[in-house]
Amino acid sequence: METILQITGLHASSGGKEILKGVDLTINKGEVHAIMGPNGAGKSTLSAVLAGRPDYEVTAGSVTFMGRNLLEMTPEERAWAGLFLSFQYPVEIPGVSITNFMKGAVNSKRKALGQDELTPAQFLKLLKDKMSMLKMKGEFAKREVNVGFSGGEKKRNEIFQMAMLDPSFCILDETDSGLDVDALKIVADGVNSLRTPDKSAIVITHYRRLLDLLRPDRVHILKDGRIVRSGGMELAEQIETKGFDSVDG
Amino acid sequence: MDRVYRVGIDEVPKRLTLKEAEELRLVFVVMPGISADVPFDISIEREGVKLEIYGLYLCPRSEQVNFRVRVRHLVGGSTSTQLFKGIAGGSARVGFDGLIYIAPDAQKTKAFQENHTLLLSDSALIDSRPQLEIYADDVECSHGATTGSLNPEELFYMRSRGIPEELARRIQIHSFISPVLKYLPEEYRRQILARL
Repeated sequence: METILQITGLHASSGGKEILKGVDLTINKGEVHAIMGPNGAGKSTLSAVLAGRPDYEVTAGSVTFMGRNLLEMTPEERAWAGLFLSFQYPVEIPGVSITNFMKGAVNSKRKALGQDELTPAQFLKLLKDKMSMLKMKGEFAKREVNVGFSGGEKKRNEIFQMAMLDPSFCILDETDSGLDVDALKIVADGVNSLRTPDKSAIVITHYRRLLDLLRPDRVHILKDGRIVRSGGMELAEQIETKGFDSVDG
Repeated sequence: MDRVYRVGIDEVPKRLTLKEAEELRLVFVVMPGISADVPFDISIEREGVKLEIYGLYLCPRSEQVNFRVRVRHLVGGSTSTQLFKGIAGGSARVGFDGLIYIAPDAQKTKAFQENHTLLLSDSALIDSRPQLEIYADDVECSHGATTGSLNPEELFYMRSRGIPEELARRIQIHSFISPVLKYLPEEYRRQILARL
């Protein structure tokens, strides 16, 4: 099996405080892994470090992404290589339309990969295809990025961007938080519709309900900066009924 | 009608008096690389005037630009709206001194003024002084000034989507100045975007 992501002994800190204390994780092509854990366990730190957020410092360990040293790459290089982070708190960018934002993103990636930029007509077709796939309305693309969006709209916009960029590896950071059942279903359907045998993902969540819809291959429990237990969906069920305290850390 | 003045390139009037009920839009633009003082004093002497003044200053390096804008409502029943936006980077110095004066009896005047600057470096400086002098009681007036810097969260968000840092910064600057940029002729817009 082909390894997509290999995390070895990863330690990371933010503001001088150590948050990740030796994370080991291997994800193969086509696999979806869930990471569950209580607040403050380091789940969002892990996703931030993988995406290259500037205010985190890796103090030890290594991350190899498709054979490359991920930690030496800029955030944009990681995106070009096929990594995508769905933000827990998507950022508002006033004055920038979703169309222009995505045009910049898609064409930057194509340029970096040595492909021709899309013509305006090609780009528009891609935009419309992905919007209709995710059942989004036409005026959506004209709106300013995340400005005035509801929680559900923001998360759906993340999935839309994911569809546009067609990444090989996705990190969904609490994409389910703050969503009602209907919004959750839309997001899960969107993610499932993007699943192919050669795409992999990490799904970070507190709850089992998103995992019921996404059916991950593996479930990991992150506690105090380490993965303390790995298993299948039965682990998610145990957490749901008995809580994180039932897993030794 | 629209009048667009490129400071340091076109001849810019220092003083104007509006005696007709007209709609007038004035746009001042300071291109990158230009240092200048821009004194401008406009008096409204007729009701029914609709005046819009836009200012755009692009000072990415070591420019020194000083606006001194006076909008005088000498009679009532007219409207003035001012929006000055710009960037200050490198060791640039930008001054904005703006006064709205409303004469006694100039009732039913509406006058607004805003000045917003994006600071692109720690050594750039902006000194913004909006002032109101109002001697009539039945008027609608406001002013505001802000200074901000590029938002690191926005930058990281764009970069995580594969937009290179340099382009992400340009997108942010473009979006910041777009409310004024849109009143410039296409040719000037292109020149500005190429030089940022």
